[in-house]
Amino acid sequence: MSHDTQEVSANDAHARGPLLLLLGSGLVWLVISGVLALIASVQLHTPTFLASCAWFTYGHMQALQETAFVYGWLANAGLALGLWVLTRLGGEALRAGNWVTVGALFWNLGVTLALVGIVAGDATGHSLLQLPRYVQPLLLIAYGAIAVAGVLAWSGRRNEASYASQWYVFAALFLFPWLFSVAHVALFVVPMRGVMQAVTAGWFAQGVFTLWLAPLALAAAYYVVPKVTGRVLPGYQFASLSFWVLIVVGAWTGGRHLIGGPAPAWISSLAIVSCSLLVFHYFVVWLNLKGSIGQGGAVMKFTSFGLLAYVIGGCADAFTSIRSFAVITQFTYFTQAQQQLALYGGISMLFFGALYFAVPRLTGKTWASAALIGGHATTAILGVLLLVISLGVAGWTQGQALLKPAVTFPEIAAATRPWLLLATAAYAVLLVGNLMLVVNFLQTLAAKPTVPAATLFQATSDIKETA
Amino acid sequence: MKNGTLFFLGLFASFTVSFAVVLLANHQLGALTPYFDDGEGKAFPDRMPGVAARGQLVYRDLGCASCHTQQVRRPGFGADQARGWGERQSVARDYIFQPFAQLGTMRIGPDLTNSAGRKPSALDAEDLMNLLYAGQGAMPAHAFLFEQVKVTGEVPAKALKLTGSAAPAAGYAVVPSEQAQTLVAYLLNLNTVYDYPESRPVVQAAAQAEGAHK
Ligand code: HEC
Repeated sequence: MSHDTQEVSANDAHARGPLLLLLGSGLVWLVISGVLALIASVQLHTPTFLASCAWFTYGHMQALQETAFVYGWLANAGLALGLWVLTRLGGEALRAGNWVTVGALFWNLGVTLALVGIVAGDATGHSLLQLPRYVQPLLLIAYGAIAVAGVLAWSGRRNEASYASQWYVFAALFLFPWLFSVAHVALFVVPMRGVMQAVTAGWFAQGVFTLWLAPLALAAAYYVVPKVTGRVLPGYQFASLSFWVLIVVGAWTGGRHLIGGPAPAWISSLAIVSCSLLVFHYFVVWLNLKGSIGQGGAVMKFTSFGLLAYVIGGCADAFTSIRSFAVITQFTYFTQAQQQLALYGGISMLFFGALYFAVPRLTGKTWASAALIGGHATTAILGVLLLVISLGVAGWTQGQALLKPAVTFPEIAAATRPWLLLATAAYAVLLVGNLMLVVNFLQTLAAKPTVPAATLFQATSDIKETA
Repeated sequence: MKNGTLFFLGLFASFTVSFAVVLLANHQLGALTPYFDDGEGKAFPDRMPGVAARGQLVYRDLGCASCHTQQVRRPGFGADQARGWGERQSVARDYIFQPFAQLGTMRIGPDLTNSAGRKPSALDAEDLMNLLYAGQGAMPAHAFLFEQVKVTGEVPAKALKLTGSAAPAAGYAVVPSEQAQTLVAYLLNLNTVYDYPESRPVVQAAAQAEGAHK
């Protein structure tokens, strides 16, 4: 790992307040969404759980946990890490930091209102866009305020050459507001009719992943991996092609969920083709970042796991979009397994890795507890594996059973129940791990910087020895 | 990618093209009108009666779509028809009058597209009320949609006829709230019995294609 002067950068001190605010609020949402996910998961095998109140229907819990996870945790953390990477690579201090702070406050206010609205029954019913329509403009404006800092960091960058990380962050910063406002208009302001709502919502949901969250996570990984391994990325010359493949065909893959249904067949066919084109993107990401696999240290544990999950998740999407797989997995827990693999195993784990790398540099303090880092790494990896496998098996069982008309719904429920119980255990494990991260984060913030600045980064850059 | 402007334009272009695909679909589907059947002298699909439309909002607000789809897939793709969920596949025209189409993404419970048009027998209002009140298997009870009222004199006409453990204490009756009534009106309105021209040829073509593969 390089110990150049940039490691002890004044730029980080500048960015500290706003970015820690984003990260901190993200962590609060992470825990909240973990609790909500646990409740929703219990309701699947124990339908009487919290069934006495209209607020806590399964539909609400599902919408709540997804919203808290994506718009609470992933959005806050992704923006913080993205901006951090931009300022670091641009060699410029974070400008418009106050905008970020104000934007972050309003964003989190918006997410809070969204959750209250969902409890009250105002979820839109569209996957990954459950946010009640009336909070969407607020979120858009708040996002804009945060993104100002990103635009300034990009346009004012001191280093002429641009890095893959920068393209990805900039793309994410710029594309999300577009995606969000177009979806808002097409679904709520001048709503499209009938089936088109599902088509548009599918396009949006896919865009959230491929045009926003995945670019942010890849930006973090493309920044962190060479820093920690100290190696040049091997397939870097293909990186820009891979970037454009993701950006150009990514959002087209959304229609794969509509296969067989009332939407025109060409939509799902186009999605299937796009899914296989996207495999090229995953391949290049793999080629570039596989150097992180097997590297010691907490940062690399999270990052390499995230990377594997991201690539495997992408290939799984391509496989299950094929008709003979889709006929089994469509409408089952298997799709939830895939979503968790992508969002939790992929995006979130990459964010965890980058977060463990960034926080010591932002705060000027080493992590308070190496044991908690290790604990989080173990529980997160175990939890994701358990979750994806249990939901995957549950979904496969359910899908096979649905194909046999003689199998009744009580029988399907009985056959999936053990796996759904296991999924609940997985959510509990994940929650415990995330609490360790929160405790560690708070302890780190509270600690006095004990190590003199000059030696600080010597120590922190080698989390691998301490964790 | 040193050229920021070009980069920006590239992003914008890819985004626009991806949305253009959505618009293309909208061009194709947005123009759908009700189909006028000369034989029957009326157009299909019917508009939902007001009470059912309000019931759809209850359905959406409670998140029923998190467990139920409303889309019967084409023949040869899954066992939708064999399970009795619909005699034909769903087509886009089925949904043109639905302000909030509830296609759904999960089938933890059965598909409900044609739940009121099922043969030989579909659930009637009483069955649906009881199902919502008491739940059944993995289908959660929605007892909060009902009120327990003290019976003085005659038992209210709307009261559920409950037996066994679901029955209320003596002297009480369970009556559906306004929400439960609109929801049930909506469920009773769910049917795709009418056969559109486009749902027929697709049935045949798909069946043939399926046959050719085997
Ligand atoms: C947690 C998932 C879940 C939720 C939420 C849910 N259901 Fe169900 N529903 C089921 C299951 C499972 C069954 C099948 C029960 C059985 O046969 O054992 C079912 C059955 C039904 C049936 C009977 C269908 C048939 O063909 O027999 C209707 C009607 C129904 N649900 C309506 C609703 C409505 C309305 C809502 C929202 C208020 C709702 N469900 C919410 C899981 C769910």
